[in-house]
Amino acid sequence: MSATPDAFASVPSEHTELSLLENAWRHRPGILGWLSVTTHQAIGMRYIVTAFIMLLLGGAEALLMRTQLARPNNTFLGPDRYNEIFTTHGTTMMFLFAVPVMEGMAIYLIPLMLGTRNVAFPRLNAFGYWLYLGGCLFLYWGVFTNTAPDVGWFAYPPLSGPQFTPGKRADFWAQMITFTEVSGLCVAAEIIVTIFKMRAPRMSLNRMPLYVWSMLVQSFMVIFAMPAVVIASSYLLSDRTISTHFVNPAEGGDPLAYQHIFWFFGHPEVYIIFIPALGFVSSIVVANARRAIFGYPAMVLSLIANGFIAFGLWVHHMFATGLPQIGEAYFTASSMMIAITSGIQIFCWLATLWTGRVRRNTALHFAYGFIAIFVLGGLTGVMLASVPLDLQVHDTYFVIAHFHYVLIGGALFPLFGAFYHWFPKMTGRLMSEKLGKINFWFLFIGFNLTFFPMHILGLKGMPRRVYTYPVEMGWGPMSFLATVGAWIIAIGGIIFIVNVLSSRRSAHFAAANPWDAPSLEWAADSPPANYNFEHLPTVASRHPLWDPPEERAVVTGLRNDRREVLVTTLMDAEPHHRYVLPGSSIWPFIAAVCVSIGFAGSVFNPWYVIWGSIISGLALIGWFWPRRPFHMEP
Amino acid sequence: MSELKTLDVSHLPPFDISSQAPVWWGQLCIVFIEGTMFLLLIALYFYTRLQVDVWPPPGEQFPHLLLPSLALIPLFVSAGGSYLASEGAKKNNRGRMIAGMLLNLITGGLFFAMQIIQWHSLNFNWKADINGSYVWAFLSLYHFDLVGDLVFTFVLLVAVIIGRYGEKQRVGIHVDSVVWYFLVLIWIPIYLAIYWGPRIMES
Amino acid sequence: MTRLHLVWTILCLAILSSCAGHQQSAIDPAGPQSGKIAALWWGFFWLLAVIFAIVMAVMLITLMRRPPSAIENRPPEQAESGLKRTVTAATVITVLLLFVLLIVSVKTGKATADLGKQSSLLTIEVTGNQWWWQFRYMNSDASRILTTANEIHIPVGQPVLIQGRSNDVIHSFWVPNLQGKRDLIPSRVTTEYLQVDNPGVYRGQCSEFCGLQHAHMAFYVIAEPKDKFNAWMQAQLQPAPAPTDPVLEHGRRVFLNYQCIYCHQIRGTTAAGQNGPDLTHFASRRSLAAGVLPNTIGNLGGWIVNPQRIKPGTHMATIAVAPNDLQPLLQYLESLK
Repeated sequence: MSATPDAFASVPSEHTELSLLENAWRHRPGILGWLSVTTHQAIGMRYIVTAFIMLLLGGAEALLMRTQLARPNNTFLGPDRYNEIFTTHGTTMMFLFAVPVMEGMAIYLIPLMLGTRNVAFPRLNAFGYWLYLGGCLFLYWGVFTNTAPDVGWFAYPPLSGPQFTPGKRADFWAQMITFTEVSGLCVAAEIIVTIFKMRAPRMSLNRMPLYVWSMLVQSFMVIFAMPAVVIASSYLLSDRTISTHFVNPAEGGDPLAYQHIFWFFGHPEVYIIFIPALGFVSSIVVANARRAIFGYPAMVLSLIANGFIAFGLWVHHMFATGLPQIGEAYFTASSMMIAITSGIQIFCWLATLWTGRVRRNTALHFAYGFIAIFVLGGLTGVMLASVPLDLQVHDTYFVIAHFHYVLIGGALFPLFGAFYHWFPKMTGRLMSEKLGKINFWFLFIGFNLTFFPMHILGLKGMPRRVYTYPVEMGWGPMSFLATVGAWIIAIGGIIFIVNVLSSRRSAHFAAANPWDAPSLEWAADSPPANYNFEHLPTVASRHPLWDPPEERAVVTGLRNDRREVLVTTLMDAEPHHRYVLPGSSIWPFIAAVCVSIGFAGSVFNPWYVIWGSIISGLALIGWFWPRRPFHMEP
Repeated sequence: MSELKTLDVSHLPPFDISSQAPVWWGQLCIVFIEGTMFLLLIALYFYTRLQVDVWPPPGEQFPHLLLPSLALIPLFVSAGGSYLASEGAKKNNRGRMIAGMLLNLITGGLFFAMQIIQWHSLNFNWKADINGSYVWAFLSLYHFDLVGDLVFTFVLLVAVIIGRYGEKQRVGIHVDSVVWYFLVLIWIPIYLAIYWGPRIMES
Repeated sequence: MTRLHLVWTILCLAILSSCAGHQQSAIDPAGPQSGKIAALWWGFFWLLAVIFAIVMAVMLITLMRRPPSAIENRPPEQAESGLKRTVTAATVITVLLLFVLLIVSVKTGKATADLGKQSSLLTIEVTGNQWWWQFRYMNSDASRILTTANEIHIPVGQPVLIQGRSNDVIHSFWVPNLQGKRDLIPSRVTTEYLQVDNPGVYRGQCSEFCGLQHAHMAFYVIAEPKDKFNAWMQAQLQPAPAPTDPVLEHGRRVFLNYQCIYCHQIRGTTAAGQNGPDLTHFASRRSLAAGVLPNTIGNLGGWIVNPQRIKPGTHMATIAVAPNDLQPLLQYLESLK
């Protein structure tokens, strides 16, 4: 029996109750109102749109690079410009697109999937977004004033140190990281607390959707990994601005310490990008195979194991530095072992699809594309785990091929699938399936044409990060092919944008649950009201919308004249207490501006650390200053 | 329309001052973040030591032990103040909240003052070499956190004294105690690394 | 799916056609280490290609299958247990295969890493600079230490110890035809062993991003039989040949009077600069500017007159050589065989 499209039938409600709810959750008008928004749907969309713009910028940078490399000894870009562009491409994609877009999707989807009205800390959510935006503006301020970083997205010292990269370029890089990492940590904290404490009643941990599990694992990874990059970027920034000697060998600093601490973050970082995508794939596969996922416990344990093991791999980025052999053997073993957790998930998805009633919509096309591309990338990863092989292909185009296969295949394809899957929920309209499939094929073919030849280029000796290469090396034909592929990807991107823009105005309105999917977000309207659900749902299984309607209970007794949600217990989600959320507030924006002034200024003058702390402290006092009424009505 | 099952929660209180409160969990996340950062720094500090033959670098004295070790006393007492304030918050006992926060601020401030005095005796700064950079990194990061929380506690104290407080601020006082316990606990490995570490790792 | 198959076929043909022997290629080995690594590569490649093909086949079949009965949202029990067995078996096989790959990797790593346990090994100290290579043939007798740049000769059939250093940023020493790469890290010494079995000329290139001209930091390794190597070594250890005619004499004077001596050394003259490549036997080298251009008199002229045009950002100073000094200078330098 399929679920009714409008999910939970409403308890006969008074007209006044609904209008109270709408009033409590409405946004304030005007520019000040726009700056004061604290609802998760709006903030999630802001993250997604901003990150998408960053994707376009990073993509433009990639096209510039590929154009330069299409022919040997090309003069389209000189070495300085090329080095700035490849650094900005990597930095933008990793820090300003990939992680934030996953965060934005989570901020949008998680409260809906959990059956609540907002994240646990709405003002922190807003603050995190403004700080992320500040980071984007900060880096691109540098880019457009000829101060783009040019030392690679991981900025190894001593090249990135004060002696070899004078000026402000590397400082912009290092401090942009501070912006985005603080923002990311804010999001991680609120996702964890929302998932732990604000789930629908009776949504015990083993009834959570796999996407929720993936965001829980990812958020914990962020908590433990991002402090490491804060340390790395601070080492670099303080060596450059206040003459410390952490990683600058001139006075006993250790460049290898930088590599260790950077990659202690850097390896989990790629899983931080990739693990939410695994959650997307599970959602898309379940909805379009029209059956429960095969092996839910195995999937959950694989996600958790993936999260843990990812912290034990980092030295495989440093095999060429001459480490003790026993260390190398351990990191080979762990780097290969993580293939097991990914493999289990692939097997479970294939088992689900094998026994499902497959609906071949665009979202599922992207899920299949993900499997094909990611598995290939994962297999080259197993090759790279082997030290002797790595010592040949490390720092060559082979590695570039590998990580684009796992990042684009493993994260971007699921992300596009997620866009097609949840667009109806977010906008109330369906995207064009016809354009969607054309979109998919352009991206799939373009991607493989661009990056598959790079495996060969790497084996044939082409190093990374070279702005040009001689004719006699024979790298020309493959490079040209890769450039053609890059332009095909660009066309695919344009098709996507056209599809989004035209679908937003189309007449193809979407019902609440066009895919007949089982999770709670499909019970809300399309698009959801600011309060998500008129009555918060409860659940009795892993697939609430596949349960018969008469078995679904709703929560009553929450006040609708203020932003009130329900806090439940950690394991079994039994209701514990009611929780009043703040409404719109301008303080997150003010605080973010103060913090941004501190961060941005300290690149030019270390005293800004003090001034910035003072004004940020004042902003935080304003944020938390007690306001009437002090006593909460029951 | 068919009868729908309902789960009525109107009897539940609209706040909770315990480890079930979301903001308590948020604070725990911050504890993990900061704790990870300090522990990684300590690990790197020891890693650095292992790469170098001469330790501490020539010309640098060991940091003095007496004052920092004595300073541990007000630090631990300040945790007691925090506990008192937190218990006061749970039971809505204004006197206990004020007394606890005052004790916390005074002893915490005393710890900070003793530390600052001790800093003047260090014969190296962060520009000297890698050891100087690490020692001053620990000191500045930790004390920045400490001062931040002292300021936050002071603001709460003022709010309670002038009567501008309610359930939200009481939750805040309870959660503030989590921060303070963390600050006291994390100081122990940092203290051992900076003050005892060089003596143990001397070449 | 036929479009997919077509693209795939084209790509396979492209791979196979480009695997032919090539310089600076990891799959065209000329020594025992790169040979072992290439063998490991092909083993990995075929095994993982088969696995990939199987996974893709399963994936494509899922698109073509119709489930036997109308599947509700909860499939029947027997299908689940069959799936469970298959997934468990696939997982176990994955674990076993990875274990095998781990063992093979570690063994190959050991074999390629420890070549020369004997003493009195030919030792070459490699120092990376932005953007050129200094090579020093070490010797317990200080008068027999040979300093050269951007090109080394090594004898065939015996292991050579490379000691890696850097004067500025991190570089990486890599000759794919011979061995994996080794990073050159300032304030540290890294080591690796190298051995060539087939005589020939092998190109290497810096493979750790080191700044503006990272793309133009190549070097050559010339492997030759032991007697030829010894002869080369002897010739290199000699000081620079004295000028034999007035033009060369003029050229040497030019070299010594301009700023060249601040960076370059020519043994047998008073030029003893240490910041740039040693030029004592410059003309014996195949390339100039670290593998950027063939070493011809025309290229040399272009390089000296305007190095920034050839290698923008290079630390080589642009020296305004007077027009009637240039030709003799070039001839002198090209006489330093």
